[in-house]
Amino acid sequence: MVPAFNEGPALAAVLADLVRLPYRVVVVDDGSADDTAAQAGRFDVCLLRHIWNLGQGAALATGISYALGLPATRYVVTFDADGQHSAADISQMITALETGGLDVVLGTRFGRDGSARGIPFVRRLTLRLGTAFTRLTTGLCLTDTHNGMRAFTAAAAGQMMITQNRMAHASEILSRIAELGLRYRELPVTISYDGYSAAKGQRSIDAVTILWDIATSRMR
Amino acid sequence: MRVGQIVFLLAAVGFATYATRLRSTRTDRLIHLLLAAAGFVLVLYPDWSTEVAHRMGIGRGVDLIIYLFIVFSLFHYASGAAKSRQLERAVTVIVRRLAIAEAKHDSGLAAAAGGERLSPSEAGISAIRVSLDAPPASAAGR
Repeated sequence: MVPAFNEGPALAAVLADLVRLPYRVVVVDDGSADDTAAQAGRFDVCLLRHIWNLGQGAALATGISYALGLPATRYVVTFDADGQHSAADISQMITALETGGLDVVLGTRFGRDGSARGIPFVRRLTLRLGTAFTRLTTGLCLTDTHNGMRAFTAAAAGQMMITQNRMAHASEILSRIAELGLRYRELPVTISYDGYSAAKGQRSIDAVTILWDIATSRMR
Repeated sequence: MRVGQIVFLLAAVGFATYATRLRSTRTDRLIHLLLAAAGFVLVLYPDWSTEVAHRMGIGRGVDLIIYLFIVFSLFHYASGAAKSRQLERAVTVIVRRLAIAEAKHDSGLAAAAGGERLSPSEAGISAIRVSLDAPPASAAGR
């Protein structure tokens, strides 16, 4: 599942890799203003389009809702549209789910030699603070809390119920994992911080927005 | 009567008209009418606010009115924020249902997926046709 917001320049390369794999690819175009949908349309993928930009959490929730409606869905793997992930990592995540009797496998950019190479210092620091915050609030011991690559069994995906439309959904997913006592583990995945995804992706200051979203999430 | 008084009396009348038209619930209208009436009276008899303020242990009438204004503003802000969250949730549901109902590629499977999740009362939403070519107007970020 590939949530995409204005990822026209990078999406084609990502999808070209993904459609070679024996999985169904679902692209959720989150109200992009560029040619994201047209790029996705060139490939053999399911394309869902938000007519309004809602945020990545909402795009994931839409994709999960759609995927679980398909009778053949056994696993859901989320994959960023900006080209920072490696399609080769998908099969090992699914293998980990299958053989490990797990509900969730979370990608981490730390933990394997070389995988964390090229991460800017400020980003590294922000991510570390994120893991400390997660350990405090959920008790989960993770090395990477905001990695876009995650694999769920269909049952686990159905229990996620993401209500955070924007980036705080990452923390929300972890809270659900902790609450439900799901069996999880982290798996090192390759992340490439090239110029494009670094410029397009989140800035470290977005951590503040995420905290705000979490803090106000109980306001009705 | 001074010019300033006339201006603010007109403002109070305008506010009352606006509030009764825009506000839907009866209590809401009543509260806004009372506010307008209080404003009307205080413009005509400015000394009354000082009188009330003194009885409450507040120095000047102007201060009392400023404090009240702050309190009302805060309530207004809170209710606006709650309303906007409600709207956001509703928009999310509608946008999601449209996306699933109009999924491209395997439309048969999509219809099955979407149809399964719609309750009869909500099914009407999927009938709404919105042009997918209309440019999305928001940028809520990712």
